[in-house]
Amino acid sequence: MKQCTIIGKTNVGKTLFLINFAEYLGLKSLDINFAFNEGSEKFKNFSCKNAISNLVDENPHKTRCIQSMTLDFPMGKGKKKIKLVDTAGFIDGIHPDLEVRKAISQTLSIIRDSDIILHIIDAYAAKKQDLPSSMGEVDYQIAQFAQLKRGYAILANKMDLAGAEEGLRKIKEEFSGHVIFPISALYKRGFKEVKTFVARNI
Amino acid sequence: MTHKVKHTIDNPSQIHAMLIDGVITPCQALAMFSELDTHKIPLERSNEEESLEDIMKELDQLIGLSKVKDLVKEIQAFAQIQKKRQEAKLLTEPQVLHMIFKGNPGTGKTTVARLLGKMFKHMGILQRGHTVEVERADLVGEYIGHTAQKTRDQIKKALGGILFIDEAYSLGRGGEKDFGKEAIDTLVKAMEDYKDNLIVILAGYKDEMERFLQINPGLRSRFPIQIEFNDYSVNELMQIAKMMVEKRQYKFSPEALIKFETILQNRKNDINYDKLGNARLVRNMIEKALRRQALRLVNQKVISREDLLQIKPEDISEV
Repeated sequence: MKQCTIIGKTNVGKTLFLINFAEYLGLKSLDINFAFNEGSEKFKNFSCKNAISNLVDENPHKTRCIQSMTLDFPMGKGKKKIKLVDTAGFIDGIHPDLEVRKAISQTLSIIRDSDIILHIIDAYAAKKQDLPSSMGEVDYQIAQFAQLKRGYAILANKMDLAGAEEGLRKIKEEFSGHVIFPISALYKRGFKEVKTFVARNI
Repeated sequence: MTHKVKHTIDNPSQIHAMLIDGVITPCQALAMFSELDTHKIPLERSNEEESLEDIMKELDQLIGLSKVKDLVKEIQAFAQIQKKRQEAKLLTEPQVLHMIFKGNPGTGKTTVARLLGKMFKHMGILQRGHTVEVERADLVGEYIGHTAQKTRDQIKKALGGILFIDEAYSLGRGGEKDFGKEAIDTLVKAMEDYKDNLIVILAGYKDEMERFLQINPGLRSRFPIQIEFNDYSVNELMQIAKMMVEKRQYKFSPEALIKFETILQNRKNDINYDKLGNARLVRNMIEKALRRQALRLVNQKVISREDLLQIKPEDISEV
């Protein structure tokens, strides 16, 4: 089974993307597997709405474990099973909280085993310096690392916000040569292109 | 500081530990992983490849076969000197290395062919060094024109390596109308066309191969290297047996050794010995012994490490 992993800085909308993308692919309810860094696992079933209110938060580092689900990815006439993985967000510096550092380390090992990497960058914050989700050094490093993989795409998120267009332009400049899709995880915009991209790479 | 760290890290868990301890940023960790993963691929490949020394050692470990070992040394020396001559801008001649292996089953013909392939690759004589093992049925077709096609397919597969034709004398069986003749003709043509990048080895029983070469007199001159694989003596077979057992991490008890030897001695006088004897008989006997040992142990309540290792006389039987 191919593994498709969503990564990016904290607070760029990774978890929201996971949930809304799963819904877009036709899932009514989500069976999410939580893998904690000490090795334990937990299964929980959510409706899409519930999932958002439980797992998504406007404060950074809401996600501190690996949240994954297996789903049938529609491909042509048939389907193929893939694992969609949501991870803890990166930061540029060293985080003071041990738990967050552990979560980031866990994220790193997941990325190394993944076949497809969807790298989310906050287009709205791309031009700003002060937000935790602002584009930073770690984004360049991710691009550097992920180009070793077969399927690597950058998703410029939050395109629904004013000023995001400019951010998108900046992302395109900085990451020229990579595949970039403008999306809005909140309003499920640009998902069709992402779906085609994933389908092509599994 | 990062720069220094980068060069000393070679396992992922170290990077994770540093990340968790807050020594490095996620960014630095990612950079290290990139470095690790880009270098990983060539590293793994070099591990897979055996060095020429390893292969030579493997050959030296084969019991008996002194003629083969001498031949390999000759070829190796020749290849080296050719290279030197090339550097000195002297005329070099590609060697014709097509061979005929004559010997009974179980005398090491296939084993040697595989080793030669690997070895020639290292010496730069062959590009790929793989061995394609075929027999009559893989070469001879069912209707006119089919044979040439089938044979050519096998040759294509073997390019850059060795085409090993087992029981090759069967191609000469059946007289004028047999398609085997067509296979031989196609083969001879290919040997000329691809002489720089293909080695053909014909293998089979000594007497039958002799007859085959008499019927096709043109062949003998095209196969300049002919090696006879003699039957192993009981002594050599015992050495082979001990080595096989050791490789599988078992050992014979002294009584078992004696029994093994007696059986081999008796088999030597058997009329069918040349058909199923030699190292293949030894291998079959050992595999049987391992199964019988397992059967003896499986119902035993307490099994010690020594029990697991040892093969006793009652485990050994004729195949």
